[in-house]
Amino acid sequence: MNTVKRYLRLYRVLVAQFLKTIMQSRVDFLIGLLGFFFTQVMGIAFLYLVFQQIPDLQGWTLDQLIFIYGFAQIPRGIDHLFTDNIWLVAYRLVINGDFDRYMLRPMNIFFQVIAEKLQPDALGELLIGTILVVRSLTKGIVIVDGLHVALFFVSIFAGALIYTSIKLFFASLAFWLKVSGPFLQIAYDMANFAKYPTEIYSKGVRFLITWVIPFAFVAYLPASFFMKADTSAGVVVIECGIAFVFWWIAYALFHRGTQVYESAGN
Amino acid sequence: MRKGLRIYLPFAANELKRQLAYKGAFYLFILVHLFGSFISYYLWIAIYGSSEKEVIGGLTQSEMVVYVFMVYVTASIVTASISTIVSDDVVKGTVAMNLIKPIDYRLSLIAMASGNMVYRFLVPSVLIWIGLEIYKIKVLGLAPVSIAGIFLYLVSCVMSFLIYVLFDFCFGMLAFFTTYIFGMRMAKEALLGFLTGQLIPISFFPAAMQRVFDFLPFSSIVYTPVMIYLGKYTGETLVFMMLRQAAWVVFLYVAGSLIWRQVTKRLVVLGG
Amino acid sequence: MKKVNHMIEVSHISKDFVAPKKYPGLRGAVKGLFSAEKVIKTAVDDISFSIDTGEIVGYIGSNGAGKSTTIKMMTGILVPTKGTCTVAGINPSRSRKENAQNIGVVFGQRTQLWWDLPLSESFTILKEIYNVSDTAYAEQMEFLNRVLALQDFFDRPVRTLSLGQRMRADLGAALLHNPKVLYLDEPTIGLDLVVKDNIRKAIKEINEKYQTTVILTTHDIGDIEELCSRIMIIDEGRKIYDGSLCELKDTYGTKRKVSMEVKQPEKIKGLCLHELLGVQEAECSMALNLENSTLSVTFDKHKLQVPQLLSAVMAVAEVKDIQIQETELAEIVKEIYNHGVGGAA
Repeated sequence: MNTVKRYLRLYRVLVAQFLKTIMQSRVDFLIGLLGFFFTQVMGIAFLYLVFQQIPDLQGWTLDQLIFIYGFAQIPRGIDHLFTDNIWLVAYRLVINGDFDRYMLRPMNIFFQVIAEKLQPDALGELLIGTILVVRSLTKGIVIVDGLHVALFFVSIFAGALIYTSIKLFFASLAFWLKVSGPFLQIAYDMANFAKYPTEIYSKGVRFLITWVIPFAFVAYLPASFFMKADTSAGVVVIECGIAFVFWWIAYALFHRGTQVYESAGN
Repeated sequence: MRKGLRIYLPFAANELKRQLAYKGAFYLFILVHLFGSFISYYLWIAIYGSSEKEVIGGLTQSEMVVYVFMVYVTASIVTASISTIVSDDVVKGTVAMNLIKPIDYRLSLIAMASGNMVYRFLVPSVLIWIGLEIYKIKVLGLAPVSIAGIFLYLVSCVMSFLIYVLFDFCFGMLAFFTTYIFGMRMAKEALLGFLTGQLIPISFFPAAMQRVFDFLPFSSIVYTPVMIYLGKYTGETLVFMMLRQAAWVVFLYVAGSLIWRQVTKRLVVLGG
Repeated sequence: MKKVNHMIEVSHISKDFVAPKKYPGLRGAVKGLFSAEKVIKTAVDDISFSIDTGEIVGYIGSNGAGKSTTIKMMTGILVPTKGTCTVAGINPSRSRKENAQNIGVVFGQRTQLWWDLPLSESFTILKEIYNVSDTAYAEQMEFLNRVLALQDFFDRPVRTLSLGQRMRADLGAALLHNPKVLYLDEPTIGLDLVVKDNIRKAIKEINEKYQTTVILTTHDIGDIEELCSRIMIIDEGRKIYDGSLCELKDTYGTKRKVSMEVKQPEKIKGLCLHELLGVQEAECSMALNLENSTLSVTFDKHKLQVPQLLSAVMAVAEVKDIQIQETELAEIVKEIYNHGVGGAA
């Protein structure tokens, strides 16, 4: 228990320092937020333009698709907020030898990596996600009862863990490949496409997005559970299972990576 | 002048070498990068499947399939990003070092981007292009592209490349005026993906917006070359479109030079 | 027979790095894509040593000799390919966190502090990370301020500090939790003489007060002379010397240099000193500088005495002034880098 308290205290200290640095340049922070907001809006614009030409997409209406889109942003935003520094592992830390610092301290290395940085841009994703989910509530397309609401919160945190696990997995490849940024980017980008109903894809693709890089379980599948009364809550249960399994795999790889780590030259 | 340009060859060669050095990334890159376009492909099939019309936004389903992959091929050739390098140089203060060297900073960046472009063309664009063309003829039953068509497409691509690089250069220099352009770069990339026709053909936009786009360089970057390839531009329209591209190249070149002059005057170096 | 527990024990430690084979040029880069050949580089080859509490040991070698690699294995950053390493009874690669609590590390070229934050904040964070109690922190800060004068810039962001200030800050940070072992990698690099002196004094004081074991990697001979009682020299991954500084000088510093200012240097011109004295030319070499009338003679002190030399020279010309120099440590080290241990003798 002592260690947990210690880590919490540490996280608070590190985060407070980080926020102080951010607040020093408020304009930059706002611009960053705006930029990210923009990125999300484009996705909606795409849907909107498409639906000018068609009545529905394989049975799904625009409003429903917008809910899926918004719902997808929330776990993504949560992960983005806390674990953005993982990207640096994939792109730089391993190569530059900056990792040495982490290894020399008597603290869990993964913790050090993520405590170093909080990403305020993520608030853009969370904001858009919340707005769109609320909009969907007002349009009456989402089921609202005790079970669904509870599972909603479970799902978004499980979803965030899946995001983190996938990021950590690909980032850890950097210990062997020196730079794994491009792979991480591609894997991460696949999440964008799992915002759409997976029925539109061929079997192979559906399998990939559902079980290999399981973003379908973060967005589409739980979202359809929240919209349609005849789907089973098992979807969320599986999502949690996947979250734990993938986290375990990713962390094991990361840990192995720190042992294989070769540091930089002089 | 020609001899002078040769100084920049090492930049291109180095960039190419650097990319080739990351062996693992090279192999996987080919495979996984295609996923994005395939998913777009499925999406469009579903969209056409949900519509009663055969032609949406001026394209049939087959043409849209070609569109999706040609956008990939074109974008990968054309969008070699240098604004990151520029803004990095500003933040790190190394931009001053670049001014000391007896070479044109912008030209060296363009040369670097060219090396990047060659790499991106070889990996995997050429293969995909060929594969797409075969698929187009055998499966979709469309007519093969003519030699003239290929030539025009490539010329258009080169101009697109220049438009993009010159634009990115101007954009990168924003780093001189605001210390933090990361957010703006994200906005730029999102906007560009949209406005260049990568996400959705320009023809899908409401007519009023399309008129506005006519005055912006973005549609010339990806949409124009792909439309040329699809044979959608002929005769006068074709000439007009390509001339428009050329005009943008000139305009952005001049704009870049002007901004550069302003910037070197008030060099605020951070860090260093 | 008393069993001695050393602070650091390194036993037959080796480190291999495996890299894909690289071919030169552009064509080579393409070839490299399709080949699966590997190149094994042995950075550290079967090194063993023990270090006791309170020792200050210099660990030197030319670039690429394997110094940093050894240090990285001892600090837990790298895992040895072969052999074992024990620091304060802990295996650094297996129990990384426990080992980290016992050590302090200063990398001359890289800081461990938070770049954008004031130094005070870095110290606050480190206090939490290393679990330093409030009383211990206060006590240690008092000591560090006295020895390193950190209060001069304690509230400034680390990125605004000069190199000298940053080094002092890094040293203080490394010592905040009073580690048993202190690793210093090029701690005085790029510093001016005054600051170098202060840092060295600080290290000595810390070692005296707390019996902190210090491992020092450096190219600076001054550092070695001031601080180290013991030196280990590593070359191409192997340890080629391990002993005291005095021994090193005695055994390998056989040359002595005498500089004489002579009145009529032209008279010396034709002199063949080594023949006169009955020694080999290699054991007695002379250099005559006509401009400032100086005759320098470098000779093997086992073969020739200064009085002999003097009388030989004074028989030919008048000597106005004389200076005697022992071989500089720098020379010894340079010789060893170039020719290995055998050649310097």
